[in-house]
Amino acid sequence: MARETLLISTLVELADNLVDDFDVIDLLTVLSDRCVEAIDVDAAGVMLASPGGELQFVASSSESMRVLELFQIQADEGPCVDCFKDGGVIVNQALEVPDARWPRFTPRAIAHGFRSVHCLPMRLRGRTIGALNLFRTEQGLLDQDDVVVAQGLADVATIAILQHRTSLDARLLNDQLSHALNSRIIIEQAKGNVSQSTSCDVDQAFRRLRMHARNHNLRLTDVARSIVDGTLDANRLDQVVGAKSS
Amino acid sequence: MLIVAADRLIAILTLLDKRKRTGREEGRLCAVAAEVTEQSGAGIALLSQGGELTSVCASNKVAQRLMDLEITVGEGPCVDASRSFGAIEEVELLSSASSRWLAYSSSAGSAGARAVFGFPLCIGAICLGALSLYRDRPGPLTDAQASDAYLMASVVARAVLAMQAGAPRDMIADELVREATFDFAVHQAAGMVSVQGTMSVGDALVALRAHAFTTDCTSSALALRIVARDICLDPETREWRDTALHSS
Repeated sequence: MARETLLISTLVELADNLVDDFDVIDLLTVLSDRCVEAIDVDAAGVMLASPGGELQFVASSSESMRVLELFQIQADEGPCVDCFKDGGVIVNQALEVPDARWPRFTPRAIAHGFRSVHCLPMRLRGRTIGALNLFRTEQGLLDQDDVVVAQGLADVATIAILQHRTSLDARLLNDQLSHALNSRIIIEQAKGNVSQSTSCDVDQAFRRLRMHARNHNLRLTDVARSIVDGTLDANRLDQVVGAKSS
Repeated sequence: MLIVAADRLIAILTLLDKRKRTGREEGRLCAVAAEVTEQSGAGIALLSQGGELTSVCASNKVAQRLMDLEITVGEGPCVDASRSFGAIEEVELLSSASSRWLAYSSSAGSAGARAVFGFPLCIGAICLGALSLYRDRPGPLTDAQASDAYLMASVVARAVLAMQAGAPRDMIADELVREATFDFAVHQAAGMVSVQGTMSVGDALVALRAHAFTTDCTSSALALRIVARDICLDPETREWRDTALHSS
């Protein structure tokens, strides 16, 4: 698909999602997936800051442990922390060891096959609420158009956090952020439950949760919560058809 | 340690350390919660297995009276925060427009509170209880106070979990630094252990945490072994079983 077509369909898809009572983690996962499709990057993910100022992973184009680990390290150090702290764009950051700036992050990223990283702030009227993180398996410069597209998607993600509220008040924003961050924890708890109950790996568990939510027009977080509190049996989740679904 | 929130977290831990010799751990947490958020007082209520809120501590007499009142009438900031998994604020209890709590509001006002706030102590689908704050003057929290209140609730949740898992009291501050708030493997592992041991995910998290303590490893390291299926909780004996050697 040509990039323009892909972008338009992505925006329509996101707008469609925004109208309904959507699930913020699901939406940010869609956004991460579309980043990988529309831009020359190999993995993408979103980190948000809690109202207390702690950075936490919320969504990614990949649920594999190796990618999740790279987001988890960034609670402490890495491009997202730097981007969040000074609100600046980080692009075309080649990953080389030794790296005095990110001594934990860089070696792990390289070990997982990534060679460069980019990070775009998610800003809302003066407040940075998180960052969109992009990884490439190659070095070399990201097209300037790609940067513009990525920042556009980061801005859409930012608006999504506020959901359909029109007015921005700090208290509502805090509510939405802590809700989104806690939703991610519920999803991890549910992934573990499904993985154990149905003997699948945790990535597969995530795909099943997401597929089930979509098929039944339910919010991903609500499905995850039902699994964790025992009102939905993991064995009754819809099967994922085919090897991979996004 | 989380760099972004590090300075505030250090401030909280320093305050906790300064009060190390003044009574019970829970009391310390309440006193620090009130101090760091610049409110008149704070209280912590925890949910029992049966879902009942129990008052655990309060930083002063008014805070204790508010907590007792809330438990008695069954409504108030802790009840709402722990039910909704969201922060609660009532910025003027004595306003006639304030009808959120029919029985609680006026009695809380008579007890000396004008504004009350509730913050849930939640870890995903687990709700441990809530942290409440009160002020003897009306009005909302400032942005900085609200930010510190959220951070304090996260610290209290981790401390409560550590205590439930049997961590030695004098080690709790160290644990707060050592254990990250978000560790995907820990939450996945808690979900897995809840199925292995047929228990709630909250109990599974405490069991995981307790086993990490007794074997002197981090929750994160243990969780990675659970997710890799190198160790599991035996459904019969409820004991941890090493499966790494026997796995195919």
